[in-house]
Amino acid sequence: MAESSAALPESAALGAGTPTRRHRSFAHNASTWVGLGLLGIPLLAALCAPLLTGADPMALSPQTLRAPALAHLMGTDDLGRDVFSRVLYGGRVSLIVGLTSALIAITIGTAVGMVAGYFEGRTDEVLMRITEIFQIIPRFLLAIVVVALLGGGIVKVIVVIGVLGWVGTARVVRAQLLVLRREEFVLAATLGGASAWRILTRHILPNVVPFIIVSAALQTGGAILTESFLSFLGLGDPSRPSWGLLLQQAQLYLQQAWWMSTFPGLALSMTILGLNLVGDGLASKFGARKIAR
Amino acid sequence: MLGGLGLLILRRLALGVPLVLIIIVLTFALVRLAPGDPALLLAGDAPTPEFLAQVRAEYDLDKPLQQQLLTYLLHAVQGNLGTSIYFGQPVTRLILQYFPVTLLLTTLAMFSASVLGILLGVIAADRRDTATDAIVGGASLLGFSIPIFWLGQLLVLLFAVTLDILPAGGWSSARVTYYGFDYVLDVAQHLILPVTTLMLFETAMITRFTRAAMIEALGKDYVTVAYAKGATHSRVLWRHALANALTTSVTVIGLEFGVLLAGAVVTEIIYGLPGLGRLFFDSIFRRDFQLMTGCFIFASTAVVIVNIITDIVVAVLDPRVGR
Repeated sequence: MAESSAALPESAALGAGTPTRRHRSFAHNASTWVGLGLLGIPLLAALCAPLLTGADPMALSPQTLRAPALAHLMGTDDLGRDVFSRVLYGGRVSLIVGLTSALIAITIGTAVGMVAGYFEGRTDEVLMRITEIFQIIPRFLLAIVVVALLGGGIVKVIVVIGVLGWVGTARVVRAQLLVLRREEFVLAATLGGASAWRILTRHILPNVVPFIIVSAALQTGGAILTESFLSFLGLGDPSRPSWGLLLQQAQLYLQQAWWMSTFPGLALSMTILGLNLVGDGLASKFGARKIAR
Repeated sequence: MLGGLGLLILRRLALGVPLVLIIIVLTFALVRLAPGDPALLLAGDAPTPEFLAQVRAEYDLDKPLQQQLLTYLLHAVQGNLGTSIYFGQPVTRLILQYFPVTLLLTTLAMFSASVLGILLGVIAADRRDTATDAIVGGASLLGFSIPIFWLGQLLVLLFAVTLDILPAGGWSSARVTYYGFDYVLDVAQHLILPVTTLMLFETAMITRFTRAAMIEALGKDYVTVAYAKGATHSRVLWRHALANALTTSVTVIGLEFGVLLAGAVVTEIIYGLPGLGRLFFDSIFRRDFQLMTGCFIFASTAVVIVNIITDIVVAVLDPRVGR
């Protein structure tokens, strides 16, 4: 599987945009801004949750399965809990899990990619083999098995998503390193007697940062998706309802209460779409395609 | 030519077989890492002492760790994935019994996604920077941003609850029993929404990658040469350029297969289809861990096999790869 998966254009993973024509640069900026806008709404709403609603997301009430109205903007669920408040507070969980696990994934991916690309040779080969293994093993299914066997809990879920999600970043960073390590400033630093650690962290890393930022946007989207996937299957943290858990609860009442599914799903999709748009826009802006070969 | 291909298949198998072994070892490690006695884990929550002893003996659980691993590996390689506590049947038999539904669902979804994705990718690349391209690009971005489990619920809400033109779930009608061709039609009607749900994400992925690969191919010298020789635009597009871009599309299909299977789990849950995904999901909450790990090993092996197949297809499409 080595050759063919290596033949996949990294650029396409980052974004299909091609920044060759100047007039398209506006479109890319627009995509970044639209993305930030889409992302901003659920993000701000989650941050300001206590200001936007007085309802307790866990408080039960006898008003079960009420359609959206002024008293309950997004209706109530099967136990009479306010869906609006659950979407806002659920967003906090989804976003925190997404951001922290993406941080883990990016850290591992950057480290692996930089070491593989810089040292090349056998180190590269071993690391790329491991990357391929992680790429082919069905990640989502493995996450299910790990959480089912080792138990849920928010910290475990974060670690599992982070540890299983670094492959994309590693591949992008490695591709950069293969180019960068042949640049003159790296040669100069090497001749100046700088250690590999110093060259990697001081000289090369700043040049990789734009690609890490692009990757971070996409990784965060992926991590939020994975968390909601696990929660939808009932493998998240039941004491901290996230968007995925809300959708799982909606599944049973799909015929009676469309609002239980529609609003959490909308928030989740807006966030992921926003992150993908930002990633796409930035990828084109940084000219990821040109260098990612 | 055939000799080269035979060699390639052998080489791919040589990469794939260790991968399957790694997956089995990983599963073993996870079962051992789980808190509590592994024998209790495998034998269920309240086993009889005899059954517990039988599980212990079968998996050499009182022997050293390396002996346990070897036993587990040997069992798995021979197709013995243990016994399901809930069903009281061999895991392998259950998997084979539930697999056809998933196979049909995933094959239909992946086939439709490939055809549609390649078509859209080529058209978008051909009309690059036009409104068509922008619409296809926007739609595909939307397609892989919407989580599959929400998409499934939305389609149920729209087509089954509001419009009431398609069944909300199940494999076939519960109230009426159809035979022969009517049965096929009935099942097909039940599969429209699940297949649509499952294919959308893959379509978006394939469209994106095909478009990128086509744009790259269209910039190559051989495209200019083909035009210079007087080839028509559609011939250059669908024959010369696509022949090159197709290797990317096929590779994506292989790499996405794992995601497709995860999507099948969710799809089967939403639509209540009696497939492997549903079996896998139910096994988690029945604490039927032999069945759960068995399903995982089976699915992972399927992913490895699909990757080997797509690698071979890529090599056939592009003689420069791996010979």
